This record gives sequence, structure tokens and C-alpha cells, in this order.
Amino acid sequence: MNQTVSTLPADAPWVVMKFGGTSVASVERWRNIRELAAARRAEGVRVLLVVSALAGVTDALKALCAEDDASARTQAADAIAERHRALAAAMQIALPERVGTLLDGLRQLAERGPEADGDPLAWKALVQGHGELLSSALGAAFLSAQHLPTQWIDSRDCLRAVALPNQNTRTRTLSATVDAQPDAALAERLAAQGEVLIAQGFIARDENGRCVLLGRGGSDTSASCFGAVLKAARVEIWTDVAGMFSANPRQVAGARLLRQLDYEEAQEIATTGAKVLHPRCLSPLRAPRVPLWIKDTNHPDMEGTEIGPQVREAAPSVKAISTRSGITLVSMESVGMWQQVGFLADVFDAFRRHGISVDLIGSAETNVTVSLDPTENLLDSDAVAALATDLAKVCRVKVIAPCAAVTLVGRGMRSMLHQLSSVLAEFGQLRVHMISQSSNNLNLTFVVDEDVVDDLLPRLHELLVRAGSLRSDDSQLFGPSWQALYGSGEQDIAPAWWRGERTRLLQLAAERSPRYVYHLPTVQARIDGLKHLQAVDHVHYAIKANNHARILQAVAASGFGLECVSPGELAAAKAAAPDAPRLFTPNFARRDDYAAALDDGATVTLDALHPMEHWGELFTGRSIMLRVDLGRGLGHHEKVRTGGSGSKFGLPLDQLDRFLELARTHDVRVQGLHAHLGSGILDAGHWGEVYAQLAALAERIGSIEILNIGGGLGVPSHPGEQPLDLNALDRVLSEVKAAYPQYRLWMEPGRYLVAESGVLLARVTQDKRKGGHHYLGIDAGMHNLIRPALYEAWHEIVNLSRLDQPAIALYQVVGPICETGDVLGNDRRLPVSAEGDVMLVAQAGAYGAVMASNYNLRETADEIVIE
Amino acid sequence: MSALSDPREAASFRFVRCGYADGVAELAYAFDDGPELIERIRFADAPALSEARRGAFDAALRLLHFVAGISYYKAGVPQRIVVDGDAPDADTAELLDTLYLHGLAEFAYRNGLDLRGRIAFPRDGAASAPAASLNLPRRTLVPIGGGKDSLVAIEAIKAVGGEATAVWVGNSPLIAHCAARTGLPTLNIGRELSPVLFDYNRMGAWNGHIPVTAVNSAILAVAAILYGFDSIAFANERSASAATLEYEGQEVNHQWSKGFDFECRLHDWLHRHVAADLDYFSLLRPFAELAVTRAFARLGGDYFDAFSSCNRNFRILGPKPADRWCGQCPKCHFVFLALAPFLPKPRLMGIFGRNLLDDESQRAGFDALMEYQDHKPFECVGEGAEARAAMYALSQRPEWREDALVARFADEILPQLDASELALEPWLDAADAHRIPSRLAGALDDIRGA
Repeated sequence: MNQTVSTLPADAPWVVMKFGGTSVASVERWRNIRELAAARRAEGVRVLLVVSALAGVTDALKALCAEDDASARTQAADAIAERHRALAAAMQIALPERVGTLLDGLRQLAERGPEADGDPLAWKALVQGHGELLSSALGAAFLSAQHLPTQWIDSRDCLRAVALPNQNTRTRTLSATVDAQPDAALAERLAAQGEVLIAQGFIARDENGRCVLLGRGGSDTSASCFGAVLKAARVEIWTDVAGMFSANPRQVAGARLLRQLDYEEAQEIATTGAKVLHPRCLSPLRAPRVPLWIKDTNHPDMEGTEIGPQVREAAPSVKAISTRSGITLVSMESVGMWQQVGFLADVFDAFRRHGISVDLIGSAETNVTVSLDPTENLLDSDAVAALATDLAKVCRVKVIAPCAAVTLVGRGMRSMLHQLSSVLAEFGQLRVHMISQSSNNLNLTFVVDEDVVDDLLPRLHELLVRAGSLRSDDSQLFGPSWQALYGSGEQDIAPAWWRGERTRLLQLAAERSPRYVYHLPTVQARIDGLKHLQAVDHVHYAIKANNHARILQAVAASGFGLECVSPGELAAAKAAAPDAPRLFTPNFARRDDYAAALDDGATVTLDALHPMEHWGELFTGRSIMLRVDLGRGLGHHEKVRTGGSGSKFGLPLDQLDRFLELARTHDVRVQGLHAHLGSGILDAGHWGEVYAQLAALAERIGSIEILNIGGGLGVPSHPGEQPLDLNALDRVLSEVKAAYPQYRLWMEPGRYLVAESGVLLARVTQDKRKGGHHYLGIDAGMHNLIRPALYEAWHEIVNLSRLDQPAIALYQVVGPICETGDVLGNDRRLPVSAEGDVMLVAQAGAYGAVMASNYNLRETADEIVIE
Repeated sequence: MSALSDPREAASFRFVRCGYADGVAELAYAFDDGPELIERIRFADAPALSEARRGAFDAALRLLHFVAGISYYKAGVPQRIVVDGDAPDADTAELLDTLYLHGLAEFAYRNGLDLRGRIAFPRDGAASAPAASLNLPRRTLVPIGGGKDSLVAIEAIKAVGGEATAVWVGNSPLIAHCAARTGLPTLNIGRELSPVLFDYNRMGAWNGHIPVTAVNSAILAVAAILYGFDSIAFANERSASAATLEYEGQEVNHQWSKGFDFECRLHDWLHRHVAADLDYFSLLRPFAELAVTRAFARLGGDYFDAFSSCNRNFRILGPKPADRWCGQCPKCHFVFLALAPFLPKPRLMGIFGRNLLDDESQRAGFDALMEYQDHKPFECVGEGAEARAAMYALSQRPEWREDALVARFADEILPQLDASELALEPWLDAADAHRIPSRLAGALDDIRGA
């Protein structure tokens, strides 16, 4: 143990360190606190520890207060006493005298009950305040015993609650507000008591000397009040996570740690959803300009979030997306009434009367819509019904729920609007009930249906990064991703194969351009990755991604089947790999196509009633697969989503019974169910959901043996994007498989196997400046690679001739086709390039050559396979 | 093992044998001389069987053998039913004939079969002496399904100080989670269907709905004797007795084995053949669905984030409403509609995670519930008139009436209805017909909110 011996100068700065309930609940965690406090002390600062009650104790005290019966209350008090005695024993200290006195006091309070002194609220506050008094008293004794002399101080002697005009007696007592002005005299008094002090969160004293509580998030607020009163060097909130993130990590694993925020941004993020900090705790710090740090107790060396007054020079950036669920909207429709004096006042008076507080407000000439947060009043009383009844007397009311508010937070939001087109397009597909933007220019809020949020959030985060609105490239603002800090860690991303094949590729491009080059070892590496998935019984490669014979042969040689969508593909598959099982999964195909596929021996997938209704006899005695539409779609672009009623694929579930009836009539055996959500999905959880949904459906159909969860395995394209975690995918799938072991699991990836193996080589044709734009023409265009034009797909583009030169020019990389949309890449940082330079478009192995045309009668690129 | 042949080609279905040892009941069946289909029921921590209860146990086990056979019989529905060994007596055969005919009515309708005249159990076994009272311990087995009904029943029994154990058959994390919330002792009984049935299914065996409540009832009768319970309290409502539709002169009721007719038959049969003091009944029998949803709404928040009546079998639990409610099936539709008049709207939204009544695409589902341009779904849902009453109540409420399907009801359906038949209140009353023993009669007042 390192002893603290030196004495601090009188003007040594203060650091306030706050620890929450779980951090003070065990002796191991107290040892941790001791180390952290001693380390700060050794830096030459005065340390004030602010602690919460032991985890669970505040709830136990609340339960005690709710008991009507004195003996039940004393029993509860005894149980609480036992917890503290047990902790003292674990700390190997005698029960401190102060703790004993407090426990006796608590038992007496419990016996006497709320009415004894005629002030039940004060009784309640005093009882509930005991949690912090006890934990701090135990802590003081333990730390002192561990050679860190620590003085116990009573927060009620330091923090003074003030009565605010909008508070009633209840909120003044149980959700009080502290007047936190710098107080040099108090700082001096505390400095005289010692160098390490410990005080309670959550409690203060009011003008009448009563103990009052600070309400939810109270301990954070106590810490920041102490920070303000002492004008501390900083307040440190020690918790179980490193700080605030650019999104809720439970929803977005790629959410990035926010390194620096100003008070207003942090307040906005905390208010609009982040749970790590209570929004109330920032305001006391603002005027005295005391910074607040969030730190992870379990990883004290890990950087956290620093919140302070600084408005640093930086490009405007969205800092975070936050969401709040359980929101109810009240939409009020009336004609021409809003301008009448007093009308809105009457409307809002109804909200006040029913005890309902309004959050967001949006208005139009004939409509005012407000949002309500999910308070207990709203959930457990008839307040909404009563409010609607009152409002219905003066306007037409609609109560819209359940909604979620999705808020983009960042200083200077309006200056970023032009970058948000892809984000707005995403919202364009949803029911957006309300949009709100405040004059402080910090936020932009969309209120949408609650059930879309879980899928929406990861996509929005990705879109914001891709659009350059969330400047994750600015390492001053953004730290590592949550995944990297707490997940399985950043996966090692091997450098792209073409970096090692530069000479050969330059040679190939010199012979002819444009041309596709496929790297077979990369295909094999992806195949091997999928073969390691324990949960998957059989893989069919979707040959529409790339039907080059050499690739089909490699895939078939690995034991995969081939999935085809047309007679042409069936023929190509048969020619390249005659023995590989073929799966025929067409959509709106002719009757003859199915007949030919059956003759060919392929397994046939149906995805509509029509074939069964009109050509049922064609399938008699056969086993078929049935593709269903689970009613939702996913993917990186609207045009690659293949689920949901907006897409033409799959049998809607309400027609399933009819389909099965027809199948029975025609003696057709439905042996498998298939669903496919879309493409480019990087989150492993989605396949688990599809799999579980299919399995639940299959249980109702006796004949099912196979579940085919499709493909859509995403390939990261944008820098910083994490590749799909195959281990996580296998875990998710195995979990479902354990619940439904009777079904064989199939997958049918396409792009995943081949995208990274291919590059498109092209040569620079011309260079043109026009206004602010600098165009770089190459001899490949949308006729060779249509994905950028069709899906707004992002492909990395490099100048292979000048790979080592600094990328200082900003180009629009365009092709030779007579279409404005013939753009392969916008705003690309590249070395200054010249006619004849060889350009490489990466990740072109999937949906490249197969989608080529000879539009404008331009020749298609040839295809080369290298080993 | 004999070669498998299509059970639809079989001439007879055989009840081969049943036995019990070490907590496991083995029930064997076959089509003709085909392979044995063996079902196993596993009774956890089963106590040793006392001699005093041996006779009752054997009678209950035999009934279970006959009742559980329905899952296998239906794969082929052959012309003849054969019982190897002792045939049932006439009283038992009568119960089984009725159960098989009505319990498989939906199955027959859906598969275009007519089972009348086909189902005839042998009935020449010797009748046994009337069963005596066994002085069974005064405690109740309450089957729990994870939905609102069993939770209302459990809370009502708790309210009158009844001793009860929550029991369920089969593996369901959702039920286990709900059972834990009740705070009652729990009993989970395992049921393994014969794997041969799955082979038959792949060969194209007949498939469809079976009266699973009857099978579970027979399992619980065995359990009651084995562990010592004097009562089995199901949570089936009045509306379960209403037919789903009529088909070629026969009533088809999806919930037949949850109906009062079956309850009375089994109740009486158990008294006569197993134990005079074993009561089988439904605690919710006097009530309509709406009275039960009202009682459930009153229970408060503890169950709201745990229960589900949804038809989809959620084997993998998650925290989101969508992890418990599919939002597409008739059960989701009905429970949403029936809870709506009794819960604050934001609370209901918190349970389901979406507003099914403000979603145009759910129109057909709600129409079917109200029997508007459609018949009642083949599901355990309330009566059409009940759904109409709930919808009418919502159409009168400002916080609901602008929602798409409520507004459509008011515009399109309501003008065709007789408003005097749409009141909610009559549905909240209790009827008299039930088989609830007197010591639990007080629970009815609790449910009624009296």
C-alpha cells in the first residue's frame, strides 16, 4: 500500500470523485476506490468522494417506507442492517460507531412510522437518506483502515436546498434542487478537515433544517454541486462504462466513444436518451466552468468522456444519435382556432390540469402536436383518457403511440442539413409523425413508430458516418467504438489482396482496360470462413453475384451448392460444376422455367400462390422450398431490400395457410422454408431473428425439414466499418439451433464470397475542372460497374500507378457514358492523377461483370482470374 | 423396426400399452403392425406412489393413454380403433368418442374429412366400482400458459389464500419466466412425442389441430394423484364453449376441450373413476374474455412485461415487446382489443410495442374477430359480439376513436349494427354455470372485482 505522507498546500485544487451503488457494494470495489482515490491524492489534489447507497439499498428503503405495518418496517430495517454488517465483516473492520448509531436511528424511524412527527415526507426523506449515510460511514472506516485517512462529512452540512416556485412540498422534499454557488468559506472549512473526504450523494438540507432528497440521478447531482461549491478542478463520475457514446451501444455496437463534449451537447445527449449521466447534474457546473469527466471504474486507464466549457475549433459534426421510447403524441386538429387569443392557453391548461408535461411541440396552421414522455402518471392512470376527453371538446384529438423520438445531436445542426439527404431518405420510408429542431441549433428530432427504432438506429449511425455528417475520422472528438472497448475487440482487417499484387495488376491493365481481375485465394478464404460456421448445415452460393466458371468450380469443390435464379444460371452452374446440388429460387418466372428446373433435378423454391393455384400438377409428388416474406426488409439501400410489402419477393404470411392447403391438394411436400431480408447486413443478430421466426412458423407445418435463412452477409466497404463477425453469427445461429434442433439450416450467400476478390482496373482518360468540381474521367463507367449509380454503393478507388503519393486532390471519378449518373465515386481524395494512370475500383467481384451492359455500344470489360 | 408405411393407408390404430416407472409414463401406440409410437411424460421429482392411491393412479394413467393417443390417431384416422389388453368400459368409451369427434372437428374440417361414424372406441370392458375419496391434500394445480388467463386465475386463488402450484407441460422459457413471477411453487412436466410421428409427418400424414387442453388435463389428473392435489384449476372462459363455425351440420369449435361440455364430462368421469375428491374445473368458466382482461388489467404492472398470449411459440426470450407478441396472429389482435378498454393507452402500447388498431394492414384480422365478412378465427379468442363491444367502447373514447381501424369501425361497421347489443357491461358479469368447488368460490368475487 502506498502511504500518503506529504501535506497539501492550502490552495491545492479539489477533485470530486463520485461512485455509484454497485461500486460501493463489495469490498473488492472499495479496494478499487481506495486505489483510485490514493492515486488522485498522490497527484497533489484534495479528494472529495461522493458515494451512493449500496446497490439495492435505496430500493429496500423505499419498500420499507411503503409498508403500513411497523413490524414489517423493522424487519426491513433489520435486513438492511444485516447487509451493512456483512460488508463491514468482509472489510475486516469492526462495525464503525457511526454506522451502529445510524442503524439504531433507522430502526427507530421504522418503528415510529411516517406519522409520528406529523411530517411523513420528511420521515420518508430521512429514512431513504440513510443508504448514503451508511455507505459513506463504512467507506470512511475502510479507507482509513487501508492507510488512506479519510474524513466523513455530512452532505447536509454542505449542500443547501432551495425552494423553487414550480415545486410543491413533495418535490421540494423528495426531488429537491440545490443552490450550488462557489463557497470559498466552505471550501476552506472542508480543507481544514483533511485531504481525503467522503460525503453522501442524494441528500441535502433545506431552509428548515430538514433532510431532503435530490431525486433521480441524485448522486451525480450531488457530485456536481460539490464540484461547483468547491470550484473543483474537475468532477469525475466513476461508472461502469467509459463515457458517452455516439449511440446507445446496446443498439449500435459500432457506436464511438465521445472524447469531448461541451456542456450543452452533453446535456442534450443526456436528456434525449443516454443513461450514463443524469441531465440535471450538468447545470451546476456550467457557470463555474468546472469540467466533468466520465470514467470506467473497471478500466481506470481507459480514456473517458470530458465535458467542459470548451467550444473547440472543429468541423461541425453530428455527435450522437439518441432515442427515447415509449413516447405518446397528442395531435390536435382544429380549423383557424390557433390564432384566437387564449385558445392555446386553454389547450395547454388541460395538460396542466391532468398533470401531464409536454416535451416536443410542432405546429401547423390547423394542427398542434405535442409529445409526452412515459411517466407513471401516463402509464398507470386514466390521465390520457381524461385529457383526450377534455381536448375533444375544443378540437379533434388523436393519441398516437407508441412512438420513439430519434434525435441527432451536434452543435451547428442546421449547417449539416445538406449532408443528411441519405438520412432523410431513410426517414422517408417510415411513418414520421413529427420533426422538431430547436433554436439553439443543437438537435434535430424525428418522432417515429417505436417498433422501427431497433433496426433504424444502426442504419442511421452508418449513414451518418458514410455521409460525412458524423466525423468519426476526427480523433479529437471520437474515440474507439464500443465494440473495440468492450466487445470482442476490433477484428484484424487484413490489407486488401491487391496491395500485394500491384505490379501484376499494372501489367494486366497495360494489356487492356477496363478489365476485371478476380483473386481466387480471396474467394477461398471467404469459403473457408463460412465452412467454419458450426450451425450451418449447407451453403448454396448465389451465382448471380458472379458466375465466372472458375469461381463456380472453386465454390463447388468446397462442397457448396449453387443457387440459381434463371434457366441461364442453371445451365451455367451445370456446365461449370455438374455435380454440385442446384437450388432454383426464381421470382415471377415462367411456368416453363420451373418445369425445366424440375427436369434438371434442381430443388425448386416457390414464392407465390400463383404456381400452386394454376400449375399445381407440375409439382405433384415433389418436395419444394417455400420462400415467405416475414414482413420486413433490411439492407444498405432500398433497392436491395427483399423483404416487406414494398418488395416483390416472398409469399405474404397471410397466404401461407392457403398455400399449404393447395400443396396438400396437389400432393406437394413443403420441405423447407426460406426467407431473405436483403443485402449488406453487418449485424449478426438479424439472421438469428429470421431463423427464429422461420422456425416458429415451421413448427406449424409438419413437413418442414430445412430452414433457409438466405444470404445478405455484409461486406464492409467504408473505412472504419467492422466486418461481419462470423463467430458472433455462429453463436447467434447456434442459440436458435439449440432451440429448434429438428431443422437443417441452409444459407445462400452471394456477394459475401466474391466481392472482395474482384477489382475493376481502368485508366484515366481526361481531367476537367468545372466550378468547384474537379472531374477525373476513367475508361470504365456505369456500363461496367453499375452499383454506384444503382445503389449509391461506395467502392474504394485508388490510383494504382501512384499508390504511394500523397492524396491531395479531391476528384469526382466519372466514366465515359452519356449519363449524369455515370459517377463511380464522389469527393475522392487521390494523388494528382494524369491521363493513362491505372485506377483500381475495389470490391468489384460481386454484381460487377454480371450486371454489365454495352450501353452506348461500349465494350464490356473482360475478366481475368489469378491464383 | 418395421418399415414405415403411410399411416393414411392403415386399417387400424392400436392402443398398445401404457406403463409408469420412476417418474416416467410410457404410452405406446401403433398403426396396424407398424413401429410403436412411444410417448413419454416425465414427472419431475416424483414421489413414491402410495398403495392407497395406486388404483386411482392406474385409472388416470389409462385415461391419459387413451387421450394422448389423439396426436397419433389423427396422423392416419384409420377405420378401426383397437385397444390391446382390457377394453374401456362404456362410460369411458363414451367420453373418448366425444372427445375424439369434437376435439378433431377442426382438423377434419380443414382436411376435408368426415369422422362421424369412424370414431368408435371398444366399449365392452368391465365397469369399475365408483371411486372413493382419497383425502387428497387441499391444494390446487394451476396450469400456467404464460397468457393473461392463468395469471388471473392464480392471483384469484392467491387472493383467497388458496394453496397452489403453477404447473406447465413442455419446455417454454416464456412460461417459466411468468411462473417465476407468480411467486408460487412450480412444477414442469416433460412431454416427448414419439419421433416416429415426425417421420410420418414427412411422409404426408394428416396434420392439424388437436385438443391439446384435453391431453394436458389428463396429464394433470395423473399428476394430481401422484403428487397429491385435490383440485386442478384451469383458466378457460365462457367463450371457449362457443363454436367457431358450423360445417355440414357439425359444430366446429377450435377450443372444444376448453369448453364447458368437456369440463363437465371430465370432471364427472374423474369423480367416478379416479377419486371422488379430485375436482377438475375452470376457475374462469363463469366469465367472458372481457371480464378476464379487465381483471388482468387490474393486476397491475408486474406481469405486463412478462406475459404473452401470442400464438407464436417464443423459444428465445428477449426484452422487447416484439420478442413476446408477433402482432400478426388472432391472439395478438384479440388480447390487444380486449385489454384496450381497461388499460391506459400508453400502458397498452408499452406491452405490445405497436398500435395494432392504427395499422390498416391489420384490418382483416380485426374484421374476423368481429365476425365481420368472415368467421371467427380458429383460435382461442373471445366471441364476435364481445370483440364488437370492445371496439364500440373504443369508438366512444376520444383517445382511441381517431385510430385507423377504430375510425373505420365507426364509419363502416357500426351503422350496420344494433347499438343496443354493443354495451360492454353485460360481458363483465359472471354466469352461474361452473364446477368450481365451494372452498375456492370466493375467487370469483376477486375476479369480478366485487
